[in-house]
Amino acid sequence: MSRWIVRGLRTGVRTTIFPAGEDPEAGRAPSAVELDPGGLTPPTALAVAQACPTEALVAEGNLKNGRLRFDLGQCILCGRCTRLAPEAFRPVHDPRVAVRTRDRLSRRVTWSEGGRPVEEAVELAADRLRERSWRVFGRSLHIRHLDAGSCNGCESELQLLSSPHYDLARLGLFFTPTPRHADALLVTGVVTRNLEPALRETYEAIPEPKLVVAAGVCAIGGGCFTGGIMTHGPLDRLLPVDVYVPGCPPTPLALLHGLLLAVGKAEERRSAAPVGERARPRAAGAAGAVRRGE
Amino acid sequence: MTRLVELAPALGLSLEAGPPGELRAVCAGASFTDLAARIAVGAHLSDLFAGVNPEGAVLTAVFSAPGDPDWLLLSTLLTGDRFLSLTPRVHAASWFEREIAEMYGLVPEHHPAPVRLRLHDWPEDLPPMRCRLAPGERAPRGERPEVVPEVRGQGIFQLPLGPVRSGPQESAEFLFTSGGEDLVAVWPRLGYKLRLVERLAEGRPVEAALALAERLAGTSTLSNGLAFVQAVERAAGVEVPPEARLARTLLNELERLHHHFGAVGRVADATGLSVAAAQYAMLKEEVLRVCAALTGHRYSRGVLAPGGLATPLAAEGVAELARRLPGWGRRAERLGGLLEDTATFMDRLEGTAVLEPEYAAHHHLVGPIGRSTGVDRDVRRDHPYAAYGEMEFQVPGDDQGDAEARVRVLLAEIGQSLGIVRQALDRAPAISPAPPIAALGPGSALGWAEAPGGETLHFVELDAEGRVRRWRARPPACVNWHPYAHACASGNNLTDYPVIEASFALSHAELDR
Repeated sequence: MSRWIVRGLRTGVRTTIFPAGEDPEAGRAPSAVELDPGGLTPPTALAVAQACPTEALVAEGNLKNGRLRFDLGQCILCGRCTRLAPEAFRPVHDPRVAVRTRDRLSRRVTWSEGGRPVEEAVELAADRLRERSWRVFGRSLHIRHLDAGSCNGCESELQLLSSPHYDLARLGLFFTPTPRHADALLVTGVVTRNLEPALRETYEAIPEPKLVVAAGVCAIGGGCFTGGIMTHGPLDRLLPVDVYVPGCPPTPLALLHGLLLAVGKAEERRSAAPVGERARPRAAGAAGAVRRGE
Repeated sequence: MTRLVELAPALGLSLEAGPPGELRAVCAGASFTDLAARIAVGAHLSDLFAGVNPEGAVLTAVFSAPGDPDWLLLSTLLTGDRFLSLTPRVHAASWFEREIAEMYGLVPEHHPAPVRLRLHDWPEDLPPMRCRLAPGERAPRGERPEVVPEVRGQGIFQLPLGPVRSGPQESAEFLFTSGGEDLVAVWPRLGYKLRLVERLAEGRPVEAALALAERLAGTSTLSNGLAFVQAVERAAGVEVPPEARLARTLLNELERLHHHFGAVGRVADATGLSVAAAQYAMLKEEVLRVCAALTGHRYSRGVLAPGGLATPLAAEGVAELARRLPGWGRRAERLGGLLEDTATFMDRLEGTAVLEPEYAAHHHLVGPIGRSTGVDRDVRRDHPYAAYGEMEFQVPGDDQGDAEARVRVLLAEIGQSLGIVRQALDRAPAISPAPPIAALGPGSALGWAEAPGGETLHFVELDAEGRVRRWRARPPACVNWHPYAHACASGNNLTDYPVIEASFALSHAELDR
């Protein structure tokens, strides 16, 4: 046994600096894909929608007038759009991709009269978490994880959160075996028919106040399992969701950010947010253009 | 041993042309079971699955024999909804037939235990793979038949574990029967994670179905994707350039490495050896980071494409792998040695959850679980794919069949995988993206790969537009879950259970699909 202790001590500290700073070593895998509407043309918009294997990119219309919806909540990070249109779709290496409302994951662009696509205005939903007092958790969180029908990719990453590289306990985050002791329910996987009752019971067993975190695109939007007869699809149709962590699977750092976001110790990455209050004037013009196009 | 190519004509079967390495024969429905049983005398029943043609239901059995590079596919068109069960003569058919029965509504007559495998409260009259429910339409919830074996004795009680488990792990339910200290029986209740992946793929283009194949199970992403994509390539007669085959080999071994590091780490964790668990978790994380540097995804998702790879392996990733590889080798060897010297670890494994070689032979087991109990099978060696034909490696084996043997096999396989990665690196897998394939015509073929848990077989049938008409995935967990309850009942303690579960390292996502 003493040899193990020596072995452990000689290894030294390997824990990531995140969230205090950036960790390029751990953040090598993209956490998400970012859309730059300025780099998009109508032909590429139609081409990427054609190539997308899920409903992350859905186009309607034609080269002259059309619209493209980009939904990070359905993006499985297959890399097809970033290869087809690198000037419009870029991999995001910043792990801070989690958001507090579903609509912050999706963006819309429209084009008319063959012009360049412009971003459409979105009315962002009220932030559930901001309205509620997360301070009640004392900035620490006990998490009950529930696999609602995942591929085990998300669990593989969640297990690594306890490893020396990520060590979630240093951030006041803990996995707990019992829902009675939990503050948050972390759900992975598309909700299967056979796990739906267990999901509901687990949620009900967690005392109020409680948070729900949807981790991975299966739980957020259904990903490639959308439309199945054995799957329920988006978790937020069954339970109120407070934090969405995109990814397939979400990287360990993205999961850490999502959990910190849930507990009020991190903020959303502003540049990744879709058009909100700040950009509304320009976006309003875009919406007008669509009306003319129709 | 008679080779399958000679055996089939001797049984009166005429062989049809199939993709290379694939012998195909069709027989009448009435003689299917007898022929399959006679072939299985000297061969493994690797798979048995159903499909539906416009004319009716089709059964296909897949065989492979030791030392024989061919696969034999025996199929038959059923005239009704019943067929004679193969299970009384070939025990390995049991779960395959239960799956056919619940998914296709076909009745295996004289099956000794014709109960559901993965369906819970699904209505009887709606076989999920054949029913005409619209996407998203819900079937009503019916009764969930309970099929728990009855155990009687003084002080015997039953204890359910799951489906919601204690830590961040897969949902699964096990019903323990215990007398207090001893574990009398463990009954896995399967199917919680049933997503019906194979039905979801039907009618989708190959690229979209490949995304599903990559998501059968997270830690065997590349192997299942590879088996699927190889099936598509074989069906369409597409050649893969040697550099792409080399890169696929490299990625396949990196996946085995991160899976095995994770699996050994979990066994260490189950025995309370937290330093060892942390050390192996670090190794796993490092392999995942190198995969990310090579392919842009930690689990190498999206890197495969029919005909080769979707993206070339990144040069800096190759350089980093070359830099890290010797260190991994040294650490893996040192940690493995330390584990073997740790009495508290080895004592927990020795004699725990024994699978006897005779039992394993009847179940046609695969992967490290099979190899730890005398089943000498590895498709990398027996049916070489990608660039494995040019690689030098051993297939480690054992015949003890206990948790110790399973861990020893995992540790030995880590060493072999590191060697294969080294050989692939020496040949510099600098490759360009796959040339786009003009058209994937109609056709069908079998594809295979050695996933970390054992051989994975994918049968893919494409229609005239190159869309998936039928996809059958038989990942290793479909076979290796079968003997689990038997191994658990081999005289273990209740407290051994975490060690048993970790030493099997079985995937629920693969079985439930």
